[in-house]
Amino acid sequence: MAQPIRRTRGTSITRGRTLTAAAAAAVALTLTACAGGGGGGGGGEGDGESDDPIVIGISLPLTGDFSEPGKGVQRGYEAWAQIINDDGGLLGRQVELKILDDQSNADRVVADYEVLIAQDEVDLVFGPFSTRLVVPSARVAQEYGMLFVEPAGAAAEVFEQGFDNLFYAAPAIAQDHYNYLADEILAMPEGERPTTVAVASMDDPFAQGTAYGLRDKLEEGGLEIVVDEVYPPNTTDFSPIAAKIADSGADMVIGGTQYQDAVNLIVALQQLNYQPQLAAFSTAPTNPEFSEAIGSKTEGILSPTGYTPDATWPSNVDFVEKYTEIHGNPPGEDEANAYTTGQVVAAAVEAVGCAEQGDCQQQLIDWLRENEVDTVVGPLTWDETGKPQGAHLIQQYVDGAIEIVLPSETAEAELIFPKPAW
Amino acid sequence: MTGSLLLQSLILGVLLGGLYALLAAGLTLYFGVMRVVMIAHAAFLVLAAYLAWFANSRLGIDPLLTLVVTVPLFFGIGVLMQRLLIKRLRPATLTMMSVLLTFAIALFIEGLVGFVWGGTQRRIQLSYSSASIEIFGARIAVVKLIAFGLAALSLLALYLLMKHTRFGQALRATIQHPEAAQLVGIKTEGVAGLGFGLGLATAALGGTALSLDATIYPSLHWHWIGPLMAIIVVGGLGSIPGAAIAALVLGVGQSLLQVPLGTTWAQTIFYVALFVTLMVRPQGFFGGRLAQRF
Repeated sequence: MAQPIRRTRGTSITRGRTLTAAAAAAVALTLTACAGGGGGGGGGEGDGESDDPIVIGISLPLTGDFSEPGKGVQRGYEAWAQIINDDGGLLGRQVELKILDDQSNADRVVADYEVLIAQDEVDLVFGPFSTRLVVPSARVAQEYGMLFVEPAGAAAEVFEQGFDNLFYAAPAIAQDHYNYLADEILAMPEGERPTTVAVASMDDPFAQGTAYGLRDKLEEGGLEIVVDEVYPPNTTDFSPIAAKIADSGADMVIGGTQYQDAVNLIVALQQLNYQPQLAAFSTAPTNPEFSEAIGSKTEGILSPTGYTPDATWPSNVDFVEKYTEIHGNPPGEDEANAYTTGQVVAAAVEAVGCAEQGDCQQQLIDWLRENEVDTVVGPLTWDETGKPQGAHLIQQYVDGAIEIVLPSETAEAELIFPKPAW
Repeated sequence: MTGSLLLQSLILGVLLGGLYALLAAGLTLYFGVMRVVMIAHAAFLVLAAYLAWFANSRLGIDPLLTLVVTVPLFFGIGVLMQRLLIKRLRPATLTMMSVLLTFAIALFIEGLVGFVWGGTQRRIQLSYSSASIEIFGARIAVVKLIAFGLAALSLLALYLLMKHTRFGQALRATIQHPEAAQLVGIKTEGVAGLGFGLGLATAALGGTALSLDATIYPSLHWHWIGPLMAIIVVGGLGSIPGAAIAALVLGVGQSLLQVPLGTTWAQTIFYVALFVTLMVRPQGFFGGRLAQRF
């Protein structure tokens, strides 16, 4: 009995492998063919049929780990398209977005951009959300020579891959997000400033980038790091980490967080009645649902933010007004960064005067290297790796409302230190 | 590690272990009664948690009240699942094919939950979510205590049911020796269906307990089924007390290991325990291979 079964299994496995190999070869062939056709065809299209809409290919994490911010980015992109179309379009042509769902999966995102560029022959691409997806998709865009402006790949590793087509459409990279807060803490007199720091971060390049940027600056300044924890992205039970932090009695807690992990960690810390003097968490506190998710116990929570709807940059006033008209509430950071991406690409397209695959893409890239773009997050310029040259604002929850507290020249309220009990 | 952190971790471990115990009890019951490996157990757990979340956030009902609906509902689904699907599997290949069948059911539930409520992570927000009680310098979150209490009560009820009712005796007889049970007049087919329903009812209880203090998302069940499977093997397949003891030991172990090793490595305790059990004592540490005793 045993032998025939084994033999059958063996055959089916071999057949399976052969099939997979054949399928892979077929896909590779198709892709190559499409890429060749796409490059040539795209060039011709732009000259002849200028009334066609400009199609922009995007893949976003609409489900899975990053679905919350992913949908924010989607709202921002769609608002941008709607606003620019109402305004007469780009180069006189209407803009059309083609958005695919990558399920927060790095393999999916690669396949999505392959399909968008090679098969659907989109004219331009915008980036997805978050470093883990930006790096693989930027590589695809690079292979096809496409300009790749992205709203959310802020970790240092994005700029260490040697991409020559990438631009990050926000004021600063992850490591620099907390710069104003670090300066503020280190400027406090020795006796008053916090002396011990607890750090917990998701095993994610962006989350770690923000937290470790602040941690390293504080450590250099003489503060002691008493807890330094890393947890996997699928962690749901934060009690043990919170127990460690509470037990250390650290004066300050830094969370390298995305969204739900921050909510869980903060609730777990509150369950242990841990009351730090300063509490800083990345990303989550800038999300409109954050306050409700932790039961409004937000008092004094700090967070870096690349954006505030109250900023007085000319295009921002216009954006906030129109966005609020469409959605009934002002845009958040994800929406603003997506909109900024649109603005950056639009500025290049208008200046160069083309939007198609082929040589045009390199002209767009060259233009962005040399020029400054006015956006809803202020004027942006980039270094040769695509790294923006700025720092983030620091926001704090004061009496249940978000106020910008640092830097002092744009502050709406004073930084509250030590923070009130949460 | 300071004394207070040790105590705190110990308490957290016991609270977590209690929940593991309830969930593993259901899983080991299916295997004991029917030799079925029920991969979808954790998926039903997540489904119950979603129903509790839905009732709380959309209808404003306390999550614990959903038990009135979910426990009978899951019991019914369990009986139907046994009658309509599991029973049709050939006895010779039952255990292996049940893995495939329940795997498919798990995928179906995951897809259904994602389709109805989306892939976003959800969490029940209660007014007492961050409240806690202090005991000897350690803090116990109220929601965790409720979840633990619910798990402990359910386990006690399950124990009393198995030990002191005619149905329980019939169920245990079916676990111990199906043919002999038939010979003394027990309708093992019907008993198996009810036993399956009982197992699924524990998933409703466990899911509701879980939803009080955890983030839920459709694919969360993969995160739970591995440790639960390891627990019932360590405890001895089919043995409910074995599963409960193994769950507590491993839950506390995971919680304590998190202090020196961190979250990522502490998870491996379940699999290390699984390997060690299979090498040293493949029938499990607390029960016979197929639970000779209850």
